[in-house]
Amino acid sequence: MPKSQFSQVRISGVVTCVPPTEKRIDDEVELFGGNVKQIARLKKTIGLDRRRVVDAKTTTADLCREAALTLLSKSQIAMDQIDSVICVTQTPDYLQPCNAAVLHGQLGLRKDCAALDVNLGCSGYVYGLWLAHMMVSAGGCERVLLLAGDTISRLAHPKDRAVAPIFGDGGSATLVERTAAQSNSWFSVETDGSGFDKLMVPAGGHRTPCSGETSQEIEDEGGNIRTLENLFMDGAEVFNFSIQVEPRAVRELLEYAETDVEGVDYFVFHQANRYILTNIAKRLKIDVAKVPMQTVERYGNQSSASIPSAICGELSEQTIAGSSRVLLSGFGVGLSWASTILDLADLSVCEIIESAPSA
Amino acid sequence: MSLDQFIEDFEEAVEDVEVGTLSPSTNYRQLEQWDSLSVLTVIAMVDADYDVRLKADDLKGCESLEALFAHIQSKASS
Repeated sequence: MPKSQFSQVRISGVVTCVPPTEKRIDDEVELFGGNVKQIARLKKTIGLDRRRVVDAKTTTADLCREAALTLLSKSQIAMDQIDSVICVTQTPDYLQPCNAAVLHGQLGLRKDCAALDVNLGCSGYVYGLWLAHMMVSAGGCERVLLLAGDTISRLAHPKDRAVAPIFGDGGSATLVERTAAQSNSWFSVETDGSGFDKLMVPAGGHRTPCSGETSQEIEDEGGNIRTLENLFMDGAEVFNFSIQVEPRAVRELLEYAETDVEGVDYFVFHQANRYILTNIAKRLKIDVAKVPMQTVERYGNQSSASIPSAICGELSEQTIAGSSRVLLSGFGVGLSWASTILDLADLSVCEIIESAPSA
Repeated sequence: MSLDQFIEDFEEAVEDVEVGTLSPSTNYRQLEQWDSLSVLTVIAMVDADYDVRLKADDLKGCESLEALFAHIQSKASS
């Protein structure tokens, strides 16, 4: 697998923006056919509870823009100090141009500034960090703005129990910059494209454009309803994938960084759900106190924004005032997974903000 | 690996099933508690305790706990 190491690049701030509207699984008895016991089991075992969702007018770009504005103002970084912007999203405003170009214009960044999108989901934040570290290390960029976010709630059919109660929305902004001080980080990035159809939106791209047929509702054997334009998830296979690849990837990265589970203060996994995270932690024999996992019950599975959301929501005290060696690891659509070990120290800002309701 | 132990593990894996209520001939797919969530919890239990990677289809293909246990044993030895 491609592994890489960097020594003079650091994260200097992170902000995550969530929409103000909250949905609760307790209010969705109808979706579960009145089966309140099933809802109780989902809350207890999987950790589903509340989630934040956007309204019809708000997009990923809006959430990421608000996060970026707060990040840059609190970091006292001017727009003309940004050398590159990377947007990680699967829910861009347009098929073209990319969100990075749209946001580059809205933020008023310099013209000698690179702007590109990365089409990845739950593994995407770490992939974005990896790219940003390479851009800085290669010498062309002093400062990279990484914007990672998704509005998957808009792709979930409201009558599909496999996805509707799980996904929430969020947009994040992270500043990655060169530092003269030693700041080590290690990355591994991996893919298994043979599983591309385990988690996908089948229609709406160029292989199967949207049509009358793709918008037809279909009921599956489990009684869930969706169209080909909605997100489909084979929950059991994605779960199997997660508990197979994640423990191994984490072990290999720890070895590559010449450390072990004791040498890492926090393990911030993609906030898929509490059940997956406890299973991964159990296999790695990590103390669950070192594994933030409340983000999904507060905000839902936020796809590419879930790791920054967990950092801002559950680790801000450690990262603002002090220093923590963290392992970040994302896994999901692709199928794709990526992990990094790095130090989060003296962040200028590390917080969750709420977007303003759209007019 | 004994069938009795497996049935106990299964009862513990599926939320809201009382220990001691299932038998080798129980068709688990007819249980009131059997849903997509219990599919996950059983897959996780079999992975952790029996070191066997079940697919959702494996669980759909068996009619009783005895048959499922036999299926797991055949996958464990292959």
